[in-house]
Amino acid sequence: MSQVNEPAAEVILEARNITKRYPGNVALDGVTFRVYRGQVNVLIGENGAGKSTLVRILAGAEMADEGALFLEGRPLALHTPRDAAANGISIVYQELLALTNLKISENIFAGREICHAALFVDQAAQNQRSAAALRHLRKPMDVATETGRLSLGCRQVVEIARALDQGSRILILDEPTSALSVSEAESLFEVIADLKRAGVTIIYISHRLHELLHLGDRFTVLRSGRVVGESTRATATRAWIVERMSGRKEGANDASTAISPARPAVLTVSGLTLPGSIGDEAAQAALHDVSFDLFEGEILGVYGLLGAGRSELVEALAGLRPIASGAVAIRGQNVRTGSVRDALRAGMVLMPEDRQRDGLFPELSIRENVVMAAKTGPILLRDEETKRVRKLAAELHIAAKDIELPVTTLSGGNQQKVLLARCLMCSPSVLLMDEPTRGVDVGAKAEIHGILRKLAAKGLSIVFTSSEIEETQALAARVLVLCQGRISAEFSRAQLSDEGLFTAASPSVAAAANPATARPAGGPA
Amino acid sequence: MSSVTPTQPRAKRFALASARVVLLLLRARAILVLLLLLFLFSALVPEFLTANNLSILTKHVAIAALLAVGMTFVVLTGGIDLSVGSIAGLGGMVAGYLLTQGVSFGGATHYPPVAIVVLLTICACLLVGALNGWLVAKAGVAPFIATLGTLYIARGAALLISNGKTFPNLGGAESRGNAGFPAFGQSFLWHVPTPVWMMVALFAVAWVVATKTPFGRHVYAIGGNERAARLAGIRVAQVKITTYVFSAFCAALVGLIIAAQLEAAHPATGESFELNAIAAVVLGGTSLMGGRGSVTGSLIGAFVIGVLADGLVMLGVSEFWQIVIKGVVIVLAVGLDQLQTRLQARILPYLTTASIEEGHS
Repeated sequence: MSQVNEPAAEVILEARNITKRYPGNVALDGVTFRVYRGQVNVLIGENGAGKSTLVRILAGAEMADEGALFLEGRPLALHTPRDAAANGISIVYQELLALTNLKISENIFAGREICHAALFVDQAAQNQRSAAALRHLRKPMDVATETGRLSLGCRQVVEIARALDQGSRILILDEPTSALSVSEAESLFEVIADLKRAGVTIIYISHRLHELLHLGDRFTVLRSGRVVGESTRATATRAWIVERMSGRKEGANDASTAISPARPAVLTVSGLTLPGSIGDEAAQAALHDVSFDLFEGEILGVYGLLGAGRSELVEALAGLRPIASGAVAIRGQNVRTGSVRDALRAGMVLMPEDRQRDGLFPELSIRENVVMAAKTGPILLRDEETKRVRKLAAELHIAAKDIELPVTTLSGGNQQKVLLARCLMCSPSVLLMDEPTRGVDVGAKAEIHGILRKLAAKGLSIVFTSSEIEETQALAARVLVLCQGRISAEFSRAQLSDEGLFTAASPSVAAAANPATARPAGGPA
Repeated sequence: MSSVTPTQPRAKRFALASARVVLLLLRARAILVLLLLLFLFSALVPEFLTANNLSILTKHVAIAALLAVGMTFVVLTGGIDLSVGSIAGLGGMVAGYLLTQGVSFGGATHYPPVAIVVLLTICACLLVGALNGWLVAKAGVAPFIATLGTLYIARGAALLISNGKTFPNLGGAESRGNAGFPAFGQSFLWHVPTPVWMMVALFAVAWVVATKTPFGRHVYAIGGNERAARLAGIRVAQVKITTYVFSAFCAALVGLIIAAQLEAAHPATGESFELNAIAAVVLGGTSLMGGRGSVTGSLIGAFVIGVLADGLVMLGVSEFWQIVIKGVVIVLAVGLDQLQTRLQARILPYLTTASIEEGHS
């Protein structure tokens, strides 16, 4: 199984025969994971494979039941994240842990403030070092900005800056790009390359295969708590990874939907313009004069970089943002905008980007989470609900043992499906999805894509946003590209290409292009 | 979460069963504590379990329970209502004023009948509740601050009504057509005091609302994740305002009951009642962060506090020690709540992997 025998490779950190049990579940079963100095060590596996548990042990956030850690050959005992940091190991978690009420520099130094006379915080020094760390990441920001006002992508950058400033020799990145746009991810990759050159060892977890193959030097695949494959850059292929991690061959699921032009338009957006928010760098993207049609049974992708106005577009349609001007019509009928209830009544429902923040009710059961937005009579009918939720759970393959368990017992992919089920309970005519598969493993992603195609085939019209070219291509029958709040191009499925999408989304190029040629006469209009 | 292959079915079933028992015990801890207290006091104090004493006890409990039930909804949304004690005091004073001073217009003093007095009192209290709700839901004031403000406003208003004096003799007079008010707090129906019936009725309504209606579900949703609630089309502001108005309604009932029991309205009535109500809610397992808890728990919590207080009095424990003991019980309750949360988090994966295989559905 292991063909890792390059002479130059030196193991800096090794987790040997690690076993970690949770009640009723063995998260890690005798896992041996070697981390090579100065390389990008990729850890791959579906949700629940044990990746997060393993890196939490490496970062001192959890202790293994059996097994041992070795740093440069010496046994290493980690009891707390502080121990790990003291040994030069730091982690940037997938779920953003930023203290949103504090400034950027305060976040970067939280818990390890620089002090005068061991008493007073040296704000100036912190600011200076924070700014330097962010510059190093090629993402300069005003370090006095409150972190809560930053976009998810920027918060991620702040967390990476924090880890960098700690002078880590080993940096663990747990899905660092799941919230980043392509350009931000690209700049992160450059930083990773820089760090590698500087001798920093990276442990990298991601679901995005192209990214892994692009970055990784060493690959370790986990499945159900066991290492099922190890490989080097030279030998790893996409097919190998997918097959190892899922235990099945990668299927070509490109039976996508070309819409017959005869279909009627369900949603018509004309001249949609949003007011820009003032003084908020992260959320300044408003929309300018956005117009499009969405046809029955169509899956329309909205692609754009971070800040292009993707989320703003779907949020405005869902009634979460006030619109400055423009009209929204469902089947030719103008609808009121500006409140979620109006949007729901008109048949538009949004599945949010950040399911923890905007989607899930963590205290409530799976059933209650699903039925929350549905229409009800004055008295709730429990049996009726149970029946409907069971049916939807079966249709969407929600892997729930019992729909009365808290929704937090589900994996990310299944939580995402719970939100999808909630949207479907409203019987929408337009389903709006902001990053439909963020933080979801490859298997669940393909499954969700399949479900969406099936729904579209039944006549549901879907608008989804994505910052992933891969996903946009896999799912969309037609793509609108947003750039700085304007539609910069439109592609039909046949015209889609990585190159075209990326060019249209990049501000400088899009500005130079002639709108008449940049918008090919695609689409079923 | 991958499911475990049933290699040791017996050991597994045993572990699962004991895990369930532990969880069940923790979840039912409020009622266990209540039963323990009842057992303890009836063993130590012979006259504790007499019908007469229980009647007095439930009457005391009813006051705290009414406030706690109203408070529960507010706390479930993630808010808090510090103004209920003052609202109760204000309610008593409004009733006292109307009964003893009447309303003068057209050069003569008119005495409204008791039903009108009760109605006007409740309306006055609901206004304060609506102000609470508006401040929290519309003006965006933090619930603690908003209701702290109305705590003072309502108390000040109560003092202003009588210039700080007590309104005595709320019995009214047949000649004025306003007799019968004391029945509100003193009468019996089938040997059970009227306030206890009110508690029972209010609890029944609150239980149905919390568990069987969309409104109740929305209350839990808002406390669990307000942003998600808004996105699910829930009218967050409207629901929040309603919870504060309902809490004020419960406070109004308490004000009326106390005034009727004493046949007098004193402007300081209800001071620190809000703390008792919050204590009952917390004892009942409702999270002050919102989203988790139950009306039933609050009722049991009110009983625990009431039984503890009366039992200690009957035991002759000094009043000062009573206060200390109450505090200890509250701290213990919150500690157990934390324990439950942690155990639940550890046991849940177990239940997730096992429940269906066990044929549980």
